[in-house]
Amino acid sequence: MPNIKLQSSDSEIFDVDVEIAKCSVTIKTMLEDLGMDEDEEEVVPLPNVNSAILKKVIQWATYHKDDPPLPEDDENKEKRTDDISSWDADFLKVDQGTLFELILAANYLDIKGLLDVTCKTVANMIKGKSPEEIRKTFNIKNDFTAAEEEQVRKENEWCEEK
Amino acid sequence: MSSNNQRPAPPPLKQIDLDQIWGDLREGIEQVYKRQHMVKQRYMDLYTHVYNYCTSVHQHSSTSAPSRGGSARGGSFKKTGQVPGGAQLVGLELYKRLRDFLKNYLIKLLINGEDLMGEDVLAFYTRQWEEYQFSSRVLNGVCSYLNRHWVRRECEEGRKCIYEIYQLALVTWRDNLFKCLNKQVTNAVLKLIERERNGETINTRLVSGVINCYVALGLNEEDPNARGQNLAVYKETFEAVFLEDTERFYTRESTDFLRNNPVTEYMIKAEQRLQEEQRRVQLYLHETTMDRLAKTCDRVLIEKHLEIFHAEFQKLLDSEKNADLGRMYTLVARIPDGLGELRRLLEQHIHAQGLQAIDKCGEAAHTDPKVYVSTILEVHKKYNALVLVAFNNDSGFVAALDKACGRFINRALCILFCEYCTKPSRHARLCNACSGKVDCESERDIVNTSLLHSLGERYMREHDTSVAFSIGTSNAVTKVANSSSKSPELLAKYCDILLKKSSKNPEEAELEDTLNQVMVVFKYIEDKDVFQKFYSKMLAKRLVQHMSASDDAEASMISKLKQACGFEYTSKLQRMFQDIGVSKDLNEQFRKHLANCNELQPLHIDFSIQVLSSGSWPFQQSSSFQLPTELERSVHRFTTFYSSQHSGRKLNWLYNMSKGELITNCFKNRYTLQASTFQMAVLLQYNENVSWTVKQLQQHTGIKLDFLVQVLQILLKAKLLVCADDESDLVESSLISLYLGYKNKKLRVNINIPLKTELKVEQEATHKHIEEDRKMLIQAAIVRIMKTRKTLKHQHLVVEVLNQLSSRFKPRVQVIKKCIDILIEKEYLERTEGEKDMYSYLAGHDPHGRGLCLAVVIESESDLTEARMCDSRSLDWPLSGLGADSGEGHGVVTSPGLDACLPILMELEPALTEHQLYDSQAGSILAQYPT
Repeated sequence: MPNIKLQSSDSEIFDVDVEIAKCSVTIKTMLEDLGMDEDEEEVVPLPNVNSAILKKVIQWATYHKDDPPLPEDDENKEKRTDDISSWDADFLKVDQGTLFELILAANYLDIKGLLDVTCKTVANMIKGKSPEEIRKTFNIKNDFTAAEEEQVRKENEWCEEK
Repeated sequence: MSSNNQRPAPPPLKQIDLDQIWGDLREGIEQVYKRQHMVKQRYMDLYTHVYNYCTSVHQHSSTSAPSRGGSARGGSFKKTGQVPGGAQLVGLELYKRLRDFLKNYLIKLLINGEDLMGEDVLAFYTRQWEEYQFSSRVLNGVCSYLNRHWVRRECEEGRKCIYEIYQLALVTWRDNLFKCLNKQVTNAVLKLIERERNGETINTRLVSGVINCYVALGLNEEDPNARGQNLAVYKETFEAVFLEDTERFYTRESTDFLRNNPVTEYMIKAEQRLQEEQRRVQLYLHETTMDRLAKTCDRVLIEKHLEIFHAEFQKLLDSEKNADLGRMYTLVARIPDGLGELRRLLEQHIHAQGLQAIDKCGEAAHTDPKVYVSTILEVHKKYNALVLVAFNNDSGFVAALDKACGRFINRALCILFCEYCTKPSRHARLCNACSGKVDCESERDIVNTSLLHSLGERYMREHDTSVAFSIGTSNAVTKVANSSSKSPELLAKYCDILLKKSSKNPEEAELEDTLNQVMVVFKYIEDKDVFQKFYSKMLAKRLVQHMSASDDAEASMISKLKQACGFEYTSKLQRMFQDIGVSKDLNEQFRKHLANCNELQPLHIDFSIQVLSSGSWPFQQSSSFQLPTELERSVHRFTTFYSSQHSGRKLNWLYNMSKGELITNCFKNRYTLQASTFQMAVLLQYNENVSWTVKQLQQHTGIKLDFLVQVLQILLKAKLLVCADDESDLVESSLISLYLGYKNKKLRVNINIPLKTELKVEQEATHKHIEEDRKMLIQAAIVRIMKTRKTLKHQHLVVEVLNQLSSRFKPRVQVIKKCIDILIEKEYLERTEGEKDMYSYLAGHDPHGRGLCLAVVIESESDLTEARMCDSRSLDWPLSGLGADSGEGHGVVTSPGLDACLPILMELEPALTEHQLYDSQAGSILAQYPT
């Protein structure tokens, strides 16, 4: 199996199995567009991902390389957040910064599975919390005026009743 | 997303202006469209440019958003917000620039192609398209982040005219390059195709390139994300024109070609053209064109010339050009409902050929069953092969073959036409019907209709058929129709020839094959009941006279008939078969019985009998007869023996069917004469006296005079007896003496020749029986139908009767009417008051007022006693003449009623020995109760 060299923003080079790298639709599309060149030494720079995150991404992709393709998004199907596999849950026991950077990297590299599971993790951090708790969790300053806050509450009354 | 805070820094949310990246991005894109080599790094750079731009925060693109910094948090709570949905996605500016880039690129490109024509424009167009398509795919990859977020959101929001970048590239091509060039490109393609049709070799890549482009340009404007293409561009710009062009081309070509070439050549050409066009679609057009192109070609190449084809079809049939016929079939089969006329012509042709073939055999067809059947089979075989090979065994053509065969087999010998002309020659012609050929022998000048009648009568005499005919007052053709066809009779006779012991009996396998052939003809016979009558008579004779060539062959034939017509049709035949088997055992028992009876005088005569159940065998009891004393003892012994075995059964002796052997001691040689019972009776008289008068012989033998005379004539002819009078006018006083000088080369002489009158009577009786039986079957059918329907229109009733009986024979409507009248008279039906042509069934019809009726039928002539019972509650049959007062009675017993009826029957008629319960509807035995 041929390998591909991925270069992080801080110039670390990762030698990755092509099939694993193709988890990233961005890389997959590029390889299709440019063709698999004879020049295997050519490095693919990923200027938006640093080495720590890229390492995590490769770890995730390696573990999931044999997953069946994800089903198409179904608008009518309610999305769940409680279906994170235990491996992923362990994998995502990281600090918030890393988690967010993983989200950005998944988005940049177009890795849907990783994007889904990271976003679900964040969603689970929000679920069941009051606005104040959420602010605390994510270290957000309350920049609403009292009036604004009242209006938001009013607008969202319908969903709180549930 | 959050603003930057204390945590270790994620990449800062950059504020990137389009201008910051556009310069480098455009350079890269230009590189793509120049088809320069691109390294992965460069590709990732470009991708990252687009990503960075799309993920950056832009103040200016959300002008009406609240001034709050993090607009990424969304503005849904402000109803006034113009940015719909949640997160704000950036891309419009980039999208616009990409669009403009593509447009400019294509406008420049167009300048190079505008003035090109013919193959040049095709070469230009296809090459540019291919490159453009490739480059646009790369561009799409580079811009995939834009596609994934901004474009997708726009489309979800329902914005028109926003496409994924690749689609955008196609749309831009369509609106710029295609719009200006398509006319000349399409024309060039059509020219190229025409050149290929004219036999030139063309560069098909040019055509397929254009077609691929047209297909790809078929975007679904309403729903750009729906992947399926609609083929609008291809259909409108190319296919419609192409089909018109095709129609024009082939209209001209086919008309020209037909003017200068025979139709057979044209068909080869058309076949070729159709194949070519099919290959054309496969090679370089879109598959959806296949159907429409084929339809166009079919219309122009075949449908327009159908009349010519039809005219040719007859010629091809006449000259037996099977390959051409096959070709025509394949061609015409392409036209919906196109084959009807061919089928009609084929039917007509086979019919005519069949009649002609039979005609050719002349008299032999009427007298020699083998000639007749093999003539039919030859015709059938020939056209069956034709239908199979040339017409693909098409069900419609098979039906035409069947119809034609049915028509000529059932009509060939029975319809005549009298053509009564008023022309100067004034002659009448009797022709064998449908062949239209004049029967020359009968051609006579006539001046009046009576002569025509006498001609008809002569024809009847000559052809041994009865003909009923009328003569029209005009000079129109008058139809003369015989009552029934000879086909079933001839076919039955043919079977007899095959199955009878003879020196020419074929091998087993060959015989089986021939019998199968017979079944082919049998299938077409309408009057299957006539066949059955004749067949059972001949089978009976074969069995009784031990003349069957093979029991296996007989059984095989019966099973074939059973397969074709059902159990009822052959039940009697099977019964006959059984009787012969039972009789064999019986003879064995009788012999043992004789050996054991020591106290009695042994019989000196070798004696064997066959006991035949009366209902199954088509024999009639002969007239009165005095059994010679020499035989009396044997008969008596057997009768006693049989009664002891089966008490109460009555034996009737069929002397006319019996035969024996006489050994002569009076002549120079010792001859063995194989003789009939009557002959034996006469000859045995000469043991007492060498001369007798006819009257004396009559008194001694008890044979009716007219019979006796015939018996004597045969013996006189055989030179066993002599008479002074001429043998053809014997009178009671004629003296007949034994001829002692009798000589014959053979020592074993068969003098048992059937009597003429016997034969004739038999044949007439057969025909008469058929008519009577048919009336019964028709009446039964009517009652059965009316019982379920209660009321029915005349016409529907007739149709149903015809349907029910079609497997047996084709009843004539006249007879059906007569039967309806009979049933009305017998109060089974009545005409419904106030409604025209409507009958209703009279339920509960029971003239005897008994719930359960018995019918005992004494058929006086043959002295057969049969019991037939009726349960009038389930009555399906007229009860007229029930009881012993009349010779006729018919009833039906349904199976559940059978057991209940039997004891009553036994009580009423203790003398009955054997009861056969008839289902008179079908004429078959329901059950047999030996006591």
